[in-house]
Amino acid sequence: MVLAVASVAAVAGKPAVASDQPAAPQSRNPIDRWNQMSPEERERELAKLPPERARQIRERIRRFNQLPPWEKQALRERYQKFAQLSPERQEIVRQRMRDFRQLPPSRRQLVRREIEHLRWLPEPQRGARMNSEEFRSRFSPRERQIVRDITEYLPDQLK
Amino acid sequence: MNCPMEDRHSETLVAYAAGELDRETAAAIERHLSVCPACRSMAAEQAALWNTLDIWEAPPVSSDFDRRLYGRIRNEARLSWWERLSRPFRPMPLRQALPLAATTCLLVIASFLVRQPDQLTPSRPRREVVRADQVERTLDDLELLRQFGTANQAETPHADTM
Repeated sequence: MVLAVASVAAVAGKPAVASDQPAAPQSRNPIDRWNQMSPEERERELAKLPPERARQIRERIRRFNQLPPWEKQALRERYQKFAQLSPERQEIVRQRMRDFRQLPPSRRQLVRREIEHLRWLPEPQRGARMNSEEFRSRFSPRERQIVRDITEYLPDQLK
Repeated sequence: MNCPMEDRHSETLVAYAAGELDRETAAAIERHLSVCPACRSMAAEQAALWNTLDIWEAPPVSSDFDRRLYGRIRNEARLSWWERLSRPFRPMPLRQALPLAATTCLLVIASFLVRQPDQLTPSRPRREVVRADQVERTLDDLELLRQFGTANQAETPHADTM
């Protein structure tokens, strides 16, 4: 009897094969947690959505998983910083990033360079530059808002 | 062969440790053990259990065991049908009740372990269920964040699609 109980306890307490378990704390974003679920669990969750939407999610996950490891890691770290912002700030950043995406490619490049440049400046100089005539003449109000908010809320984004 | 631990067929490993498998299956298990640390550890635990049983010696039986046993059998045969029927309802002597209670406790603990291994094993990382819409929102955010990735990424066609 004791043998049977001990065997059952040994089987029950045995950890699952741990090869797919995340090692680093930054891997705990929803995508990584999703990847750690069993295929049955994932399909059960996807079945709650309309088929076309579920198909798109599958495809997007597949594309994320195919990114090179260094890029996935960089995105994880970026997302972790973003997730630490308050919900209101997250919404502001989302809106600015959508605005950025809608800019023409040439303007996008300019805005990106400006954000990168400002990131390296000490705080007082950064403020002075954003209040300068040159800054105002170079960028539209919408572009200035993108630069201001991204620089303020996600200062490490261009590292 | 498939991993017995992954397929939740750990009884195969228990049978292997007990030497109950045929030669072919045992050989397949041995090949799998050489590459699977989880199964190797499980098989080692089972083997240790069997080794412990092998070296266990039963305590000697008292010299008047046979006399008392046959006496009880004789008494049993003399019982009336009414005494036999009412016996289960009589209070059980403590000497008999204790092992029964201990066995019941062990069974309850074992069934609890089988049902809730996650909660009782602190080292085992819990597998959380993430909602699909939560994943979709995160993918949206990752796509937006990705456009600030590398210097030329946003200008590459479809680079921000994920």
